[in-house]
Amino acid sequence: MKTGHFSARWCILLWILPVAVGLLALGIGRVSIPAAQVFAAIADVFTGSQTVPQLTRMTLWNLRLPRILLAALAGAGLSVAGCAFQSLFANPLATPDTLGVASGASFGAALGLLLGFDLAGVQLTALAMGAAAVGLTWLAGSGKRKGLSSIVLAGIMMGSLFNALVSLVKFMADEESQLPAITYWLMGGLNNADYKTLLLGAPPILAGIALLFLLRWRMNLLPLSEDEARASGVNIGVLRGITVISATMITASCVSMCGQVGWVGLLIPHMCRMKFGSNHLSLLPASISFGAAFLIIVDTVARSASAQEIPISILTAIIGAPFFIALMRKTGGWSL
Amino acid sequence: MNITVRNGSFFYQKDTPIFKDICFSAGAGEIVAILGPNGAGKTTLLRCITGMLKWRSGESLLDGKSIHTMSSKELWSRIAYVPQAKSASSAYTAFETVLLGRSSHLNAFSAPKQADLEKAKEVMELLGIFHLADKKCNAISGGELQMVLIAKALASDPRVLILDEPESNLDFKNQLIVLDTMTRLAESGMTCIFNTHYPAHALQRSHKALLLSRGGDYVFGATSAVVTRENIRKAFGVEAVIGEIETPGNILQNVIPLQISESMPEAPEEDVRSIATITIIAGSNHMSDRINGLLHEYNHLMIGRMGMPYRECGLYLITVTLDGKRSAIQELSHRLTILPDVSVKTTFAKGQF
Repeated sequence: MKTGHFSARWCILLWILPVAVGLLALGIGRVSIPAAQVFAAIADVFTGSQTVPQLTRMTLWNLRLPRILLAALAGAGLSVAGCAFQSLFANPLATPDTLGVASGASFGAALGLLLGFDLAGVQLTALAMGAAAVGLTWLAGSGKRKGLSSIVLAGIMMGSLFNALVSLVKFMADEESQLPAITYWLMGGLNNADYKTLLLGAPPILAGIALLFLLRWRMNLLPLSEDEARASGVNIGVLRGITVISATMITASCVSMCGQVGWVGLLIPHMCRMKFGSNHLSLLPASISFGAAFLIIVDTVARSASAQEIPISILTAIIGAPFFIALMRKTGGWSL
Repeated sequence: MNITVRNGSFFYQKDTPIFKDICFSAGAGEIVAILGPNGAGKTTLLRCITGMLKWRSGESLLDGKSIHTMSSKELWSRIAYVPQAKSASSAYTAFETVLLGRSSHLNAFSAPKQADLEKAKEVMELLGIFHLADKKCNAISGGELQMVLIAKALASDPRVLILDEPESNLDFKNQLIVLDTMTRLAESGMTCIFNTHYPAHALQRSHKALLLSRGGDYVFGATSAVVTRENIRKAFGVEAVIGEIETPGNILQNVIPLQISESMPEAPEEDVRSIATITIIAGSNHMSDRINGLLHEYNHLMIGRMGMPYRECGLYLITVTLDGKRSAIQELSHRLTILPDVSVKTTFAKGQF
């Protein structure tokens, strides 16, 4: 019988996949760095010697590594958040933005850009507005007729409200300098990645992922019907609350660092469900690993395919949609 | 384990009560059937009993202790709830679903351990569904899903099992599998409370019955005293006959609805003095002890008794003759009928006494 635990082979593979993809991505870019040099540079870190040129070192450690780390974090985070929301609402169409987090965070970022904040300031306003949007959604949806579907509805409303506010900010922005900045930012991109951004943005993502990872078996109770969940003897309200807070922290922080990266939160969990089933014991770790690897690959293409960097949301959809459709046709899809 | 409801009342709107001062109890090894028309609140009653909905007044007690004073974990490791199969989530495999029943025994950050896996396997084997372990719940039949949900409930080692229409939407065979399972569990000491749309199932299986009417009235008592023509007319607004179908082993009671009742209720049948002979064949030593215990309660009606073991075939043959109120004799007959592996026939003497 299947217990939901991985076989040893999958376990190793899931650990190696993002690391291997990350190593590969270190060598790829507008300046190609041969694998030998990448390994020499890594060896230098441990030995303290300097066998690679200064420029290569700078490119590797100050430009590419933070970007790859950010891609891995955002990819893993958005996949986990999407997976959590799909289970929470027992709805295959749920995404990390279902409760309006991403729209709220986008509004916060746009507002920050409009007011001329520096990057850290933009990041903070985005985080704050993302959390505020979810708070408002929760308040709006938990009125007289409590229920998860009314919260989803409230989330859709709150999402469109904040999207309208984003448009309002764009309308008010200066056409020469602010509007392009806001537009590019909203299309999503990891070009802002540096260690300072990560220092502020990584902890909420890591904390959210860790919390959900620890709760992963218990998350299996989320899609059950209300009575079934209550009868499990688990405080289902607390479990739902923790899930929402974790997923919100992750999503808001991702949006605050790299704008709206669509598709990952929908695509990766579905892929993993098709392959590993719905048991979160394996689904969640798989989502983390594949999410991280996927976004590193997409971002590597985004920054190296053409002279001008391609906004990442465009690529996630162009690479993701056909792949997803092919997989769905092959496996016959899945159900929640 | 004994579960008791004391003066339970519930309403959504104050002027339309769903239940008024309901009192009933179910002891260890007893099956209690909850009957009632659509909209009478059968499922609501189950939800109130288990505390998923809060009684507006009154309380539920487990072995004398109010369930509102228990933690969720404490409560749900004693009681288990089997939801209607149609409302169940189906993304998991049968084994994963059964394993979820262990939740109340695990803390938040732990995954099931070897002992939990063993327990899940054990209950699935007990119910004869282990071959379904790796099948997805949306790829098995309704009857199989119902058994998986019962297994999930049993995985938590409960003492009380609450089932919401466990045999609805099932074919004959699967109905029997579910009902037999309940009988078997009750024989091992489990307290079972189930909702049903079939008064016949109550008659054939349950020790006690609770019949709900719309508006909060109810009747509770021994099944044979609750499932009667009068009570069915009052609760369902339907004229029915309670027929007896003779099978090679037993006389089964069945309820057949005839027509929607329009007239005033007829005067109830008088509880007349009757003479009857009950012939019993028990399939095991253990059962013959159970039967003797039961007969002992009706000693005051007994005017003749004969019993002999037929060791060659492992059978026990008992014949008793009784003189007493017809309802009392029917009650005894019914209590014998719902025992497993027992054949029972009751013959009433003609004439008036």
